[in-house]
Amino acid sequence: MSAEASRRYRPVPGLAELGDGRISYSQRSMPLLSALAARFSAERPFDGMTIAACLHVTAETAVLVRALQSGGAYVRLAASNPLSTQDDIAAALTARDGVEVFARAGVDRDAYYEHIALALGGDGAAGPDLVIDDGGDLVSTLHTRALPATLSRVRGGCEGTTTGVLRLRRMAAEGTLAFPVIAASDTPVTRIVDNRHGTAQSVIDGLLRASGALLAGKTMVVAGFGACGAGIAEYARAFGARVVITEVDPVRALDAVLRGFLVLPLADAAPLGEVFITATGSADVITGEHLAVMRDGAILANAGHFDVEIDVRALAALAVRTHPDVRPHADAYELADGRRLLLLAEGRVVNVVAADGHPPEVMDLAFGIEALTLAWLAGQAERLPVAVHPVPPDIDAEAARMVLAALGTRTDSLTPAQRAYLASWRLGS
Amino acid sequence: MSAEPYKVADIHLADFGRKEIQLAEHEMPGLMATRAEYAGSQPLRGARITGSLHMTIQTAVLIETLVALGAQVRWASCNIFSTQDHAAAAIAVGPDGTPDDPKGIPVFAWKGETLDEYWWCTVQALTWPNGESPNMILDDGGDATLFVHKGAEYEAAGAVPSPSEDDSEEWVVILDKLRDSLADHPGKWSKAVETIKGVTEETTTGVHRLYEMAKAGTLKFPAINVNDSVTKSKFDNKYGCRHSLIDGINRGTDVLIGGKVALVLGYGDVGKGCAESLRGQGARVIVTEIDPICALQAAMDGYQVTTLDDIVGQVDIFVTTTGNKDIIKASDMEKMKHQAIVGNIGHFDNEIDMAGLAAIPGIKRINVKPQVDEWVFPDGHTIIVLSEGRLLNLGNATGHPSFVMSNSFTNQVMAQIEIFTKPEEYPIGVYTLPKHLDEKVARLHLDALGVKLTVLSKEQADYIGVPVEGPYKSDHYRY
Repeated sequence: MSAEASRRYRPVPGLAELGDGRISYSQRSMPLLSALAARFSAERPFDGMTIAACLHVTAETAVLVRALQSGGAYVRLAASNPLSTQDDIAAALTARDGVEVFARAGVDRDAYYEHIALALGGDGAAGPDLVIDDGGDLVSTLHTRALPATLSRVRGGCEGTTTGVLRLRRMAAEGTLAFPVIAASDTPVTRIVDNRHGTAQSVIDGLLRASGALLAGKTMVVAGFGACGAGIAEYARAFGARVVITEVDPVRALDAVLRGFLVLPLADAAPLGEVFITATGSADVITGEHLAVMRDGAILANAGHFDVEIDVRALAALAVRTHPDVRPHADAYELADGRRLLLLAEGRVVNVVAADGHPPEVMDLAFGIEALTLAWLAGQAERLPVAVHPVPPDIDAEAARMVLAALGTRTDSLTPAQRAYLASWRLGS
Repeated sequence: MSAEPYKVADIHLADFGRKEIQLAEHEMPGLMATRAEYAGSQPLRGARITGSLHMTIQTAVLIETLVALGAQVRWASCNIFSTQDHAAAAIAVGPDGTPDDPKGIPVFAWKGETLDEYWWCTVQALTWPNGESPNMILDDGGDATLFVHKGAEYEAAGAVPSPSEDDSEEWVVILDKLRDSLADHPGKWSKAVETIKGVTEETTTGVHRLYEMAKAGTLKFPAINVNDSVTKSKFDNKYGCRHSLIDGINRGTDVLIGGKVALVLGYGDVGKGCAESLRGQGARVIVTEIDPICALQAAMDGYQVTTLDDIVGQVDIFVTTTGNKDIIKASDMEKMKHQAIVGNIGHFDNEIDMAGLAAIPGIKRINVKPQVDEWVFPDGHTIIVLSEGRLLNLGNATGHPSFVMSNSFTNQVMAQIEIFTKPEEYPIGVYTLPKHLDEKVARLHLDALGVKLTVLSKEQADYIGVPVEGPYKSDHYRY
């Protein structure tokens, strides 16, 4: 399939209307982006700029894209996962908003990367001024395929996932990174809201939709106790699951133990688990040796960004027969002794593939921080040094403040006396 | 017959006790509302109530409520460790007395009684001036009821049997006490069981005894099972233990509970509360059960359910909650981890085999502080036993908090009024409180928590077939 042939949504009648309705519905749950759209309309921070975006093409992403457009940006959008594109959203953005969308659900690997190249201007358009990435595929494509002039034109970028930030840090360490990037996955506020709560709720949602399994009474193994894994573990426990944690990091393992979770090496947990969720951001977490000892009926799902956490090839090699699509987004792999293992979403990120991804409120915050960051990058007189930078704390606090205002939550403020006390070392007991 | 005025550890603790009683009154809105409601009608006038129930601050508010409703009261604790000495002192002194001129009620209770002293106290509470008998019992665990029944039984038989080798130390003490009584006051207990209009029983264990006696035809007076009021068992057992278990473990040991493996033996109302609070502290909680329904509940709540045998070597904190006996045996304790903590929150001290532990050859007991003992096995490993296997929430901490006990005790007061004022409605048997009183107890506690109750419309009430003012649920509804 040629990239050009697959770049557009299928022009199904009514598809754009459907997508537009869903975008409007999501917008109502995204007060931060709504407020930013109003602010950007007045301040036009992106006037004349092109923003290349590589994001899951969902209703929430569309709300972000519309906010960026309100600020004067010309947006070119590719999908950040070959399975996650919602075609109605792509249709609505193309037809209603004039966004260049290069995404279609279910494309193969080649078409996926072609789409990213097209979003970067591969079809002759000028390169982007700003980029916004989700997993690092756009930035890495830019570094491997774009001309030096295109790279030097980029004022900066924003990365929304932990996985992408890890890749960027490796690029920076290698000296490959060619423009400054802000690690937007790593703010204190997103760690709380997006990773811990958004991921947890939507991963459970994906797990339920794809497997239909009752979680109460099940033994669930969560690989990784970072912000995502910890959230998934707590939410699963609230469903009545008995949760087992696997970790490599002693600090996180200790945290898990003190929160009352059983921590085991994966080799020990493999024969116990009835549900396995990987949330490590690493590769080869569940391997053939683990799969070989799992219980009949064990459910496997990945919450990490890439499909490398569960060794799907090893699973296929172990299986004597596969039963694809026993439910939507669930494939059963039958082993030689008759055991069946149920793999959800082909081992890809289950909350996005089998459910609707993060709820709009969560994406509102994550995207709101990214939009504020892009506006801040756009407003810098000089390009920042080439490096992976944290989100400025002021932006993080501003986003939290705007969300709280939308929620109608009131907070206290420090008094001048309290400020003085906290700033002083002279006052003790 | 000379009845001593009272016996407590230190009468000069009364001021402290009175201050805590006043704090507790605010947290016991059900009892205080009951006082207000019945101040005029005095429904318990003429009642001579013998109480056998942990002599705590909360019980003090109960006792003074009974008195405010017109009753005369004598009291003993129902556990050798559970008395709060300042509460006992304040009750002995009374609101209008002083330590030098006590004007309270006869109370016989102190923390750390011997078994012999414990049963002496029970006898004192059952022994009224001028040879009178109690005409009501308020019991917790059934010891007072047991004693008068056994006394009457042996009086009828003409003699108290000799203990057999298998009898517990406690049973030997009971038999001794009854033997003395038969010699000194023949017919005392036969008269008592005739005089007593009824007993209101607080706890699962005592209720179990009552149903056994009713089934065997040996029960001599009617009983109200207060334990199975919804506002008792679902509140006291669950929420009370959820609070006081952790309190007891913390005061006894000060270990960090987070990260520990805790085994809760039994997943009834008490076990559910214990498991929840241990999990809330970050413990990894494992449950044992014999009942498939409770076991399934535990599993669906996300707990590992396994047998004691299977897990005994991996557990840091053991809590027995079963109401049954021989739950943790000496042979189990031998297999425990070094410095495992072992405690019981069930009513009696027979869940953990303390005698068997003490009988292990070469074992040593090191008292760390009151109600905390480290037992050193011959191989050098130790375990920490709380409250000598007696209920640790009362032994190591102060039992259930006032608010929870206000629910339980308001049921007690309602039950006392029911039997005392309507004996004709209660032939010998075991009863639970009528549902409308159970709902009333709950209602009396809502305001204090700022709860706003929605009121059924007449049409809604008709639609589900209940009166607008309740009761709202059938008797078999499980809440």
